[in-house]
Amino acid sequence: MRAVSPDRMGVVNRDGVDVAYEVYDREGPTLLFVPPAPITHSRIFKGQVPFLSRHYRLVAMDGRGNGRSGRPTQAASHTRAQNLADMVAVMDATETEQAVVVAHCHANWWAVELAASYPDRVRALVAIEPGVPYLGRSQPHWVEANERWEEVLEDPQGWELCNRHAMVTRHRDWVEFFFGQQLVEAHSTKQWEDAVGWALQSTGEVLVAGEEGPDRDAPTKEEFEGLCRSLGVPVLVIHGDQDVCQHVDRGRAFAELTGGELVVMEGSGHLALGRDPVKVNRAIKDFVDRVVEVPSMKSQTWTRALDRRKKALYISSPIGLGHARRDLAIAQELKAFQPDLEIEWLAQHPVTTVLERAGETIHPASRWLASESGHIASEASGHDLHCFQALRSMDEILLANFMIFQEVLEEGNHDLVLGDEAWDIDHFWHENPELKQGSHVWMTDFVGYLPMPEGGEREAYLTADYNAEMIEHIARFPRIRDRAIFVGNPDDIYPEVFGPQLPKIRDWTEDHFDFSGYITGFTPPSPDEAEAWRAEVGFGEDEKVCVVTVGGSGVGRDLLEKVIAAYPLAKEEVPELRMIAVAGPRIEPESLPTHPGLEVHGYVDRLYRHLSVCDLAVVQGGLTTTMELTAGNRPFLYFPLRNHFEQNFHVRHRLDQYGAGRHMAYAETSVDDLATAIGDEIGRKVNYSPVETDGAARAARMIAELI
Amino acid sequence: MRARQPDSTGRIDCDGVEIYYEVHGDEGPTILLLPTWLIIHSRFWKLQIPYLARHFRVVTYDSPGNGLSDRPLEPEAHGVYAHLRYTEAVLDETGTDSAVLVGLSQGGQFGVSFAAERPERVDGLVGIGAAVAVLLTGPSERGKYIMEHFEDPYPPRPPSALRTGGRDDRGDWAKYNRKYWLDDLEDFGWFFFGHCFPEAHSTKQIEDCVGWTLETTGEILGAEWDAPNGDIETYRNWASAVECPVLLIHGTDDYIVPIDYAKELARLTGADLVTMEGSGHIPLARDPVKVNRLIKDFVDRVAAPMVGSS
Repeated sequence: MRAVSPDRMGVVNRDGVDVAYEVYDREGPTLLFVPPAPITHSRIFKGQVPFLSRHYRLVAMDGRGNGRSGRPTQAASHTRAQNLADMVAVMDATETEQAVVVAHCHANWWAVELAASYPDRVRALVAIEPGVPYLGRSQPHWVEANERWEEVLEDPQGWELCNRHAMVTRHRDWVEFFFGQQLVEAHSTKQWEDAVGWALQSTGEVLVAGEEGPDRDAPTKEEFEGLCRSLGVPVLVIHGDQDVCQHVDRGRAFAELTGGELVVMEGSGHLALGRDPVKVNRAIKDFVDRVVEVPSMKSQTWTRALDRRKKALYISSPIGLGHARRDLAIAQELKAFQPDLEIEWLAQHPVTTVLERAGETIHPASRWLASESGHIASEASGHDLHCFQALRSMDEILLANFMIFQEVLEEGNHDLVLGDEAWDIDHFWHENPELKQGSHVWMTDFVGYLPMPEGGEREAYLTADYNAEMIEHIARFPRIRDRAIFVGNPDDIYPEVFGPQLPKIRDWTEDHFDFSGYITGFTPPSPDEAEAWRAEVGFGEDEKVCVVTVGGSGVGRDLLEKVIAAYPLAKEEVPELRMIAVAGPRIEPESLPTHPGLEVHGYVDRLYRHLSVCDLAVVQGGLTTTMELTAGNRPFLYFPLRNHFEQNFHVRHRLDQYGAGRHMAYAETSVDDLATAIGDEIGRKVNYSPVETDGAARAARMIAELI
Repeated sequence: MRARQPDSTGRIDCDGVEIYYEVHGDEGPTILLLPTWLIIHSRFWKLQIPYLARHFRVVTYDSPGNGLSDRPLEPEAHGVYAHLRYTEAVLDETGTDSAVLVGLSQGGQFGVSFAAERPERVDGLVGIGAAVAVLLTGPSERGKYIMEHFEDPYPPRPPSALRTGGRDDRGDWAKYNRKYWLDDLEDFGWFFFGHCFPEAHSTKQIEDCVGWTLETTGEILGAEWDAPNGDIETYRNWASAVECPVLLIHGTDDYIVPIDYAKELARLTGADLVTMEGSGHIPLARDPVKVNRLIKDFVDRVAAPMVGSS
């Protein structure tokens, strides 16, 4: 799922070729994003658009040859003049009188032509890794490739693929090689997959035409340098010093000729906008504010240090509802230690529902957050959620939300940042350590991405790469996590390594975390209380109650349907059976089949009470619900979502430590099997290892030391 | 020892009154750190100059009556009209076409009037605890009290409790009195700067200011009281005429110039207002880091050329 969607999309047909654009309508100056077509399209700016569209009006175009634009294969359709006219046409079609042009690589050549030909329409230029002709130094591999451009090569390799024949016959090899070269930064798998994917939306023929077109009407060196010298608009050049496509000296020369500012990103390659988006975003905003906005700092208040109230910002992961309750429990314990501590929550649906009910303060910027739970739901299908890939493809949402978080923090001067699996904060602070402020507490209930067998070698490589980056982050910047709390105990840690040549997860976690024990967020009832609870939630003395719940994400429809299908069979076996199915906020209860004695509810207030006194529960493999059942000593059947590494490895291992629950694989369980299992398990006396009830207080004590 | 010595200093003869000025640094746009009420002199900028001079060219001058300037006793040598001449003379003498002006308290009056009268020479204006605001809406209750009692006979008052770590009560504004100044200016200084710094733990800032007070006399301060000044309408016209970007920095606990006056000045000049919660009248001494960064940020935006690499 995208982090933000455009307010409108359109296409302007120019000279027989469609040129596509997207508009994000806001007050304020317009930024026109121009990608280097046809090798890529406007999605290359996916890290910039969500953040900048909160501050400015944006128009993002697909250059001819990729994205939603046409695919002309003639070189004559890809000349400098054609690309220039496209930009003007998009500005006209979107009623953009004037824009700050943000261009990447060779789109900067066209941007220069635009500013020179239409000086009134360009307010400023942000030139990212400018691929302008003649200036500075050319990379030698381009020069060599140019010399053999027309030749038919036998089995070309590497840069030889940059050849008018090879680009057509070995298109994928070329783009994979090309972007592999560009992403010089370690741990860039996602950026590489993205870039290759966008490139493959075009074709080799289009790419060749795109290479040859601009040569047809190229200016001379003197002409082009003259254009740069007399450009007359403020210029910001952002250039990685390891750029393999455009040598950093080219960016330097361009900045010098245009009188522009230069931000050199050391260690960055050609795709810094994707690989270090936080820095690039902030550099762009800082520049635009200075050159376009009325010089104003807006009125603000600064409070003397000793006059400040103690303030915490709590970020509770919205993936699943489980975090909300344990975070509330921690917050309440924390207030007992620090009565004058003010806690603000940066949270999104469905966590906000729980927080609002508890009377907590939700920061108003929460409304801007892109939906993580919506993304996860969109990645699920049937009883299947590829959790690791879903987290990977959530990259732009995590970035968009991090940028919001950072602004909130810089304005609010919070003393403490509490992140319960707030992946965005932990990751981007390690990537941009200069932005960290306040004490930071990282909390999680699992450590380590693990590959699912179906993912094969590639997934094993990817999970190890992600784990390695995390380990390197923490080794290099131990100051980013002032406290890391594992919600659980050392025995809960999955007995595996992080990957080949990487440490054992347990050893590393014991070295880098404190352990709070498990946090249920409530105390299970004593046997006496259980009687009262049963009466309270309306369970009859002679009934055997089976509660079926699938969480709040909408992923659970398949499981619900299968359990409901098993109900009549189970009822035959267990006549006292009463089944209560909880569909959650995203599944319409009316859309499910009905049977006598079966109740289907959309939402059940404080469901943990029902779970604590039921005779059997049927659930997915999520940690929160299964651990509530474990704490309450209830028999339960659990079905981890297929391809969900956390549920299949981490949660299952933890439940095994408690001897809790009966694991079942959804795909291998028939309706008959399920009915039999319900009959076998319902009302069975179980005796799990006890779950501690002081976890929240222990966590709160660890946190309180920091403020 | 000073953290930074001036790169050049000089004295300018303005109609027989010699004004002492300093120049620090020679790169970038110029900031003129204006004098304030002559009860203190340009050393009150001591926490700004070393930092700002690394980024900008910084010019300061002393009001006549304190520091290294002359000690004239004629009222015409003091006040806002005299400072219009002094400010221009300092800019001329230091070869400064235009500058960002920064003024504390009464320095805000000098800044607003100069920005209105010589717009071509002012790139921007920063007012900290700017006292010009008091003159926009007429005198406050305390202002009226002072005006009524300034020429009263010597008012016997207990010595300021500030010297012994205490606080003075409001009634001590009776010490704002010509004869009291002549008799015990130091005690007035303790009282006055105690009110300027309501922030806890401000002993050093108060001692500094009282020390600078001792470099002038009650007689000179009395002459300054007699100096010609603009009326409400003059100041409203000046404030409305300011066209350059303006930043106001003002403490919520400013007992000398309550922050409501700054809001009115912000409205008239179109200024941005930075509210310093918990700060008194002189945050540039008590919270210098924040104030320094605000000034630099402002100058970068209104006057600095676009340069920079990282």
